[in-house]
Amino acid sequence: MTEKRPDRTLGGSHDTFWDWCGKGELRLQRCGNCDHLHWPVVGRKCEACGEQAFTWEPMSGRGKVVSWTTFQQDYYRGLLAVPYDTILVELDEGPLFMSNPKGFGWQDLSADMPVKLAFIDAEDSAGTFRLPVFERG
Amino acid sequence: MAGYGAITMPPSDPALSRKVSIVGIGETDYGVDYQAERKRPEGWEPPTEESLLTTAFERALADSGLSREDIDGVTCSFTYGGPPAEDVSRMLGVKARFAQANGNIMAGPLPVACAAIAEGKADCIAMVFAVASRSAGRLFGGMTHSTGGVPDPDGEGGAPASYYYFHPWGWSSQAAHWALIFAHYQWKYGVGEEDLYHVAAQVRRHAMAQDNAVMRKELTLEDYMASRYIVRPLHLFDICIVNDGAVCLIIRRADLARGLNHVPVDVAGWGYSKIKQDKMHTMVREQLRPQLQAASGDALAMAGFRLDQIRHFEGYDASSFHLINQVEGIGFTAPGTGLSFCKDGQMTLGGRIPTNTSGGNLSQAYMQGWSQVAEAVRQLRGEAGTYQVPGVEVSMTNLAQTDQTHPIVYVRGDC
Repeated sequence: MTEKRPDRTLGGSHDTFWDWCGKGELRLQRCGNCDHLHWPVVGRKCEACGEQAFTWEPMSGRGKVVSWTTFQQDYYRGLLAVPYDTILVELDEGPLFMSNPKGFGWQDLSADMPVKLAFIDAEDSAGTFRLPVFERG
Repeated sequence: MAGYGAITMPPSDPALSRKVSIVGIGETDYGVDYQAERKRPEGWEPPTEESLLTTAFERALADSGLSREDIDGVTCSFTYGGPPAEDVSRMLGVKARFAQANGNIMAGPLPVACAAIAEGKADCIAMVFAVASRSAGRLFGGMTHSTGGVPDPDGEGGAPASYYYFHPWGWSSQAAHWALIFAHYQWKYGVGEEDLYHVAAQVRRHAMAQDNAVMRKELTLEDYMASRYIVRPLHLFDICIVNDGAVCLIIRRADLARGLNHVPVDVAGWGYSKIKQDKMHTMVREQLRPQLQAASGDALAMAGFRLDQIRHFEGYDASSFHLINQVEGIGFTAPGTGLSFCKDGQMTLGGRIPTNTSGGNLSQAYMQGWSQVAEAVRQLRGEAGTYQVPGVEVSMTNLAQTDQTHPIVYVRGDC
């Protein structure tokens, strides 16, 4: 089932990220100069060294939960049914990735709980896309 | 509409220390105005930035004892836009040789105005801030921060990416930032929501002694735990209020600030630091500590004081837990100890660092950092009432956002 979601940030490199998600891959920008791995997507320059030489590196999809929040306030005016859970996942490669838990909720969480990548079908005002979420690892 | 966006901070230069004093403060009736907005009695009209700032200005002028003709500068700070400073100056009846838009929240406006006086652009500036976010129905979170389909390529000049980039996962709002930091902190240090209660309760006790505070009812543990979540694990009472109001600060060349109505309060130092990369890591794992340390260190060095000489602190309690980020990060207590520090009474009279003694953003008013400056002035004058810190001579305010921090150090002019 396709889930309605608030709008993504699109255009330029942002599209590249979502294109990879569409192929079932989580890829992030690695700086070819200083090796810094970026998330969220940056438009032009490396936030560490200022160079403009990125490669899109595939992530293993493995990580652990370092924090979480559960939204009770309906910030998206009914687009998402509250309450809903979010988790902050530390990818094995280092970046902290905001996402949603799939198949479990905040009550099941514990510090450093292992999780693994999954994709769900989603739709925003720009069309359908695949959204990276995390299952129990 | 004039431009009221980001401003450039002057350097933390000791040559600019104590060149300018705060000689007048004025605020609107936060509590009365809040009640009127909620009840909307017959004939009630929503306040405007202009009506609010006029009240604050007239009160600050009376407080200073100066005449209108003594004011030769006006700066305006509006979070959601407002009239140009020249128009405001005319409206207030001030013949200003210096009139300027000066940002919005207390993240730079005071140092900028002090630098303008040091450069000779004016001798005496009325700095006005006004916000009518409640009456205007201002919304927080959700799509209020959006790139609107035109991404800000490098995140410069616009909202930080964390304000809009995680929309597809349903993650947004300032409250969510503080909730995310606290949820991690709970795991790291083994504390619970009932430990966080003490921060909101302490700030509320301070507000209860203020005639003009919005929230003046005692906050019990039962009330707190029973209140709804905004973003779990943060409750309603962990998030600042939203109200309409204005603050005016009248500042003057320090050598002209003596012998007026009140002992002058000198602006002695300031600092600024912003996260450059890996924002989530720095925020969640480090609670902004590197930025808080760097900026407060610069402000103290500029002022010529040590942290242990600061006896009163006004932090930016957009959330109860964010106040703990600042108290720990600046170094009043060690990382991980902030909640027991508060529970033990270290953040009120008799403790290490009486903090947000007029009720802060959580309970007095959400004037986006400006009411904290007014409270620092009252404390240093010795006019803070029930929660006056005995003999206090040096105070610090700090405005910390999700990615940057702006501390200011003040000293009594006769010290």
